[in-house]
Amino acid sequence: MKPLFKNIGVLPAMAGLVVIVLLFLLPRFVESTYALHIMILIFISIVMGSSWNLLGGYTGQYSVGHCAYFGMGAYTTMMLMQFRQVPPWLGIWVGMAVALLVALIIGSICFRLRGPYFVLASIAVAEIFRVSALNLKDLTNGAEGILATDIPPLKIGGTIITDFSSKVPFYYTGLVFVLLVILVTWLLQNSKLGYYFQAIREDQDAAHSLGISLTIYKNVALSISAVLTSLAGSLYAVYVGFIDPSTVLALDLSVQIVLICIIGGIGTIFGPVIGALVLVPLSEALRSNVIGESLINSGVVSADSAFGGFLTENLSHAHVLIYGVLVVVVILFMPDGVLGFAKKLAFGKRKEAA
Amino acid sequence: MTIFMQSLISGILIGGVYALIGIGMTIIFGVMRVINFAHGDLLMLGMYGTFYLFTLFNIDPFISIVVIIPLMFLYGGFLQKMFINRILGTLPQNQILLTIGLGLVMSNSVMLAFTSDYKILSTSYSSSSFDILGISISTPLLISFAITAVITVALYWFLLKTDTGQAIRATAQDREAAQLMGINVKRMSIIAFGLGASLAGAAGALISPTYYIFPQVGSTFTLKAFVITVLGGMGSIVGATLSGILIGVAESIGGVYFGAGWKEVVVFVLFLLVLLLKPSGLMGKSNV
Repeated sequence: MKPLFKNIGVLPAMAGLVVIVLLFLLPRFVESTYALHIMILIFISIVMGSSWNLLGGYTGQYSVGHCAYFGMGAYTTMMLMQFRQVPPWLGIWVGMAVALLVALIIGSICFRLRGPYFVLASIAVAEIFRVSALNLKDLTNGAEGILATDIPPLKIGGTIITDFSSKVPFYYTGLVFVLLVILVTWLLQNSKLGYYFQAIREDQDAAHSLGISLTIYKNVALSISAVLTSLAGSLYAVYVGFIDPSTVLALDLSVQIVLICIIGGIGTIFGPVIGALVLVPLSEALRSNVIGESLINSGVVSADSAFGGFLTENLSHAHVLIYGVLVVVVILFMPDGVLGFAKKLAFGKRKEAA
Repeated sequence: MTIFMQSLISGILIGGVYALIGIGMTIIFGVMRVINFAHGDLLMLGMYGTFYLFTLFNIDPFISIVVIIPLMFLYGGFLQKMFINRILGTLPQNQILLTIGLGLVMSNSVMLAFTSDYKILSTSYSSSSFDILGISISTPLLISFAITAVITVALYWFLLKTDTGQAIRATAQDREAAQLMGINVKRMSIIAFGLGASLAGAAGALISPTYYIFPQVGSTFTLKAFVITVLGGMGSIVGATLSGILIGVAESIGGVYFGAGWKEVVVFVLFLLVLLLKPSGLMGKSNV
């Protein structure tokens, strides 16, 4: 075995392989487009969360302006596709390049600041992008947003591979992106570069005195993180087919990106995965009113009562409420996220048994 | 020149309310070193309170601050006691996230209760104005500026002259030393957060006749509050007062010369410049 793989047990490796194979086979067995839709949303969330995790979790720089990179990917890909007829699988690369460029500019400004000041600066920069996208109407359509009319079919040597009419190609794209970010995270975690990042997170002055250039490595972390975030943005834009500044460049999105990691557990490979698996289904259940309906169907709340009517009317609007409640609960009671909490529980039990 | 004077005057008038928002934020930061991301949402609650006091009981928005201030004080104290106090010693990012979470809960609960429709509080004087030397001055803005001035003076008096005020300032200066001097630091934190919340609520009440009222209105003001607080120097009340007015003027003049859409960019660019050139803010690290 290569030394890189030495710290993975055989069992987890096998389990991981089985999960990946099952995920690749899933669209063959699952007909429901809704299930695929949820899976794609989960994939997009994992990609955004994991990319943020590289900067926030491993390097300790809490950017609350990551919607800027998500938006750069989304806008570049979408604008090239709609206005210049560049197919999205090429546009994504341009999106990554733009995100990289933006990250270098933002990084050179914001990394001069630390702690809460960095958080505030990252928010301010993202807001500048949002307001600019709103105002540069000739370039971005402003508040109207961009609606994708049709996606050109993907051809290789004359044979059409997919025409993007179903959700399956998006599913596979999302899955590949997820595997890519997890692979990048895992490689980083076990590399010298990753150790530099973690040293900066633990104590940046100590890291600096040991000869780790803070400016360079913080910018490297931000660049990797931004490029990967733009992938999520591009996929989201092409999949949903509509973007506007208030969805892809909003502060709410940045907060959601952070929450995915916080809820799952930051600075771990699978934290963002857990976070996405918890958050996306929950907020979708609220959005599509599954919870309200099930409360009524189970007879807990009568559909004719004022409260039942209130639930069916309003509960779908409040899917963000669950983010708020979850983050308060997680911060107060499980500061290491769901993953850390579960570990602690398991560890505590083992201790009791011993 | 008239246009310049016009935007300068209206900038100063709206800046008074911004100062109120900034002072609340800076007191909370000074005493607890917590950046309150829910500040705009507290302001939003003040707006809704004023709106319903007006529509249900026909209480004038400028009079309703008499009700809003104590209510928001209690609410802020409750938030501090129940949530913020528990995470005071932890990582700053956890504090930021907790207040973000609390803000989300507030704005979304309001959305659940009152829907996300835009509400307008229109009084008989909402759009009235009068002219002085060719410059038109909006009546509601002028009244709110006057009330802001009174509140600010009262606050200065409270912080400088009363025992509790001095205890709050001592806590802001050095939490440990204050504790050693026998100051009940937890109690001061509760009062500080209550004060911050009631100032945000009062600002909300004062702007409700001139702004749209909707659950997400808070985030704009949270961002403004950051800008004002950092610009004035985190924890400096004099700084927050000055920079609130400065931001009001910058926004108003920027809106005139760059177009209304870009006025926020003017503010954020100003913010970044201050962060880079003088992160300690206009008033440096002065106390109160």
